[in-house]
Amino acid sequence: MKFRSLIIKNIFRNKSRSILAIIGIAIGAAAILGLGLVTDGLAASTQQALTAGAADFTVLPSSFGGHGSGGGFGGGGGFGGSSAFNGSSGASFVSAGQTIDQSTLNSIQQMPGVETAAGVLRSATEINGTSQPLTLLGIDGQDLSLDDVQVTNGTAFTNSTQIILGTTAATGLNKTIGDEIGIDNQTFTVVGIYETGDYMSDRGAIISLSTLQNLTNTTGVSQILVKASNGTSPTSLSSQITQTYTNLTTSTSLSGFNRENNGIQTIESGSWAITLLVLLVAGVMVVATMMKSVSDRTREIGVLKAVGWNKRRILLLIIGESMILASIATVIGLIIGVGAVEALVNSHILHGIQLAFSVNLVLEAVGVALFLGIVGGIYPAYRASRLAPTEALRYE
Amino acid sequence: MNNENIVKIENLIKRYDQAGVIALDGINLEIKKGEFVSIMGPSGSGKSTLLNMIGALDQADEGSILVSGQNLMEKKDFSSFRSKEIGFIFQLHNLIPNLTASENVQIPMLQTDASDEEMVKRASELLTSVNLGNRKDQVPTKLSGGERQRIAIARALVNHPSIILADEPTGALDSKMGDIILELLRVIHEKENVTLILVTHEEYVAEKADRIISMMDGKITS
Ligand SMILES: Nc1ncnc2c1ncn2[C@@H]1O[C@H](COP(=O)(O)OP(=O)(O)O)[C@@H](O)[C@H]1O
Ligand SMILES: [Mg+2]
Repeated sequence: MKFRSLIIKNIFRNKSRSILAIIGIAIGAAAILGLGLVTDGLAASTQQALTAGAADFTVLPSSFGGHGSGGGFGGGGGFGGSSAFNGSSGASFVSAGQTIDQSTLNSIQQMPGVETAAGVLRSATEINGTSQPLTLLGIDGQDLSLDDVQVTNGTAFTNSTQIILGTTAATGLNKTIGDEIGIDNQTFTVVGIYETGDYMSDRGAIISLSTLQNLTNTTGVSQILVKASNGTSPTSLSSQITQTYTNLTTSTSLSGFNRENNGIQTIESGSWAITLLVLLVAGVMVVATMMKSVSDRTREIGVLKAVGWNKRRILLLIIGESMILASIATVIGLIIGVGAVEALVNSHILHGIQLAFSVNLVLEAVGVALFLGIVGGIYPAYRASRLAPTEALRYE
Repeated sequence: MNNENIVKIENLIKRYDQAGVIALDGINLEIKKGEFVSIMGPSGSGKSTLLNMIGALDQADEGSILVSGQNLMEKKDFSSFRSKEIGFIFQLHNLIPNLTASENVQIPMLQTDASDEEMVKRASELLTSVNLGNRKDQVPTKLSGGERQRIAIARALVNHPSIILADEPTGALDSKMGDIILELLRVIHEKENVTLILVTHEEYVAEKADRIISMMDGKITS
């Protein structure tokens, strides 16, 4: 008989007790893996949302949003633009009365710590043949993602005769890719449909910056979307800009940035607290199981000593048993953990979270379970190895 | 060689302080190699305590005890001494219930560097010699009391000990079964030329030995 066969036989000796220990450790492993998947997934999803796409903050003229600063509205009539419109010019345009000029845009683009600075011109107009107001944005094609614009159908515009429509606008206007739209004295071809996830923005349309500048007869931009380079704090970059250009102000999505970041931290520390608690419970279960297993076998351990087993062999026996228990439990725990998270994600309770499977996470869970097995086994094994054989043999 | 003392005990004292008991009260004893002795006395007279001292399961407080040339008053771990020199048989067989007869016999060999094949072979030989050759893959719960005790005897012999220590080996058996076990022990003693020390409180059992040592209140009386 091999020593390891004895260990395995001993595990299956008291099945209900072994099952209890296995459940304890499995829950530990499952919790670590499950919580890890969710928090890592959350962090990854949020991080992606933060870094791919959106700008860190927006630079605006100081008096931006000041009422009536640019004079009355033109012939465009009422419109529901979210915020970016003031001033007027031309017959069918409500356009930026107050703009940031091109040279300021250029120098902000040159500032150290600025990864991208994209000018955006906002105006309101209406489409020829309708009386529906339309928010029209001018922005360069490669900068669309900075404004959270995702072209979901078709492509972005590549020349001055192309336009992309927000999903809501496209539905409202009953226009689709390939259709033509007249604005003022120009005709545009719809080449793409975009989504931003923001209701107001999805009611608009976007053309290239220079095209809108020509249409509205402006040279500047109404705002600049700024993204800080890696390693530069968006907060300090934004205050640096407002200090350098006193006529500019910044409107940050920074508060949102921080809020989300805190959110991740809260989730992470919460999941750590749960993990620790689960570990504690699982650890206690292992220790209790192995202690009971040792005390039930007191007499037997006395016999093992009487027939010449040394302390080391008895230690190895008990720790071996708890390690094998832990290994079986780990496999079960990993399956439960992955299964539970997948089920939660599929049932949309945790919707929108990408699961971040990683070798590290699995190794972590395996490590924790084996650690539980060893640590949970050590004290009972030590107790067993220290049993006085005569005491053990007297024990009934 | 055969007249050499394998056990040499002088003025051995063992106290159980908490219980306020002097279990061994100045024991002097010599046992020759290959001898078959019985230790007889009423319950509580200290027989098991003495046997445990000889088997290095416990240590005395005073005196000297030399077994197979090993000074058992030393402060050290005697597991390897027990593994090489001693074979224990208890009143209760103390077999591991989920292991087969063969596996139970192999247990002491796990502490040696014997291979798996050697262990299986040795266990099979011994079980055959105690007339259990056809029961080697049975678990103890399926066997009678006498059969279990025969497995325990095989287990005691597995590492070729120089001394067999049997503490009331027939105490849990009926007299017919007890006689079979005693006869088996006597045969083994002769065949293997092993020193056999048998503890009992029954005179007719003690009489099977070459020499009877009587105990009372922790002392040897004759
Ligand atoms: N571990 C122990 N703790 C306290 N007292 C013990 C212990 N072992 C034996 N004794 C006491 O020592 C005396 C001798 O016991 P023991 O050697 O078992 O006697 P026997 O085997 O002859 O019946 C008894 O009084 C018993 O109660
Ligand atoms: Mg006794």
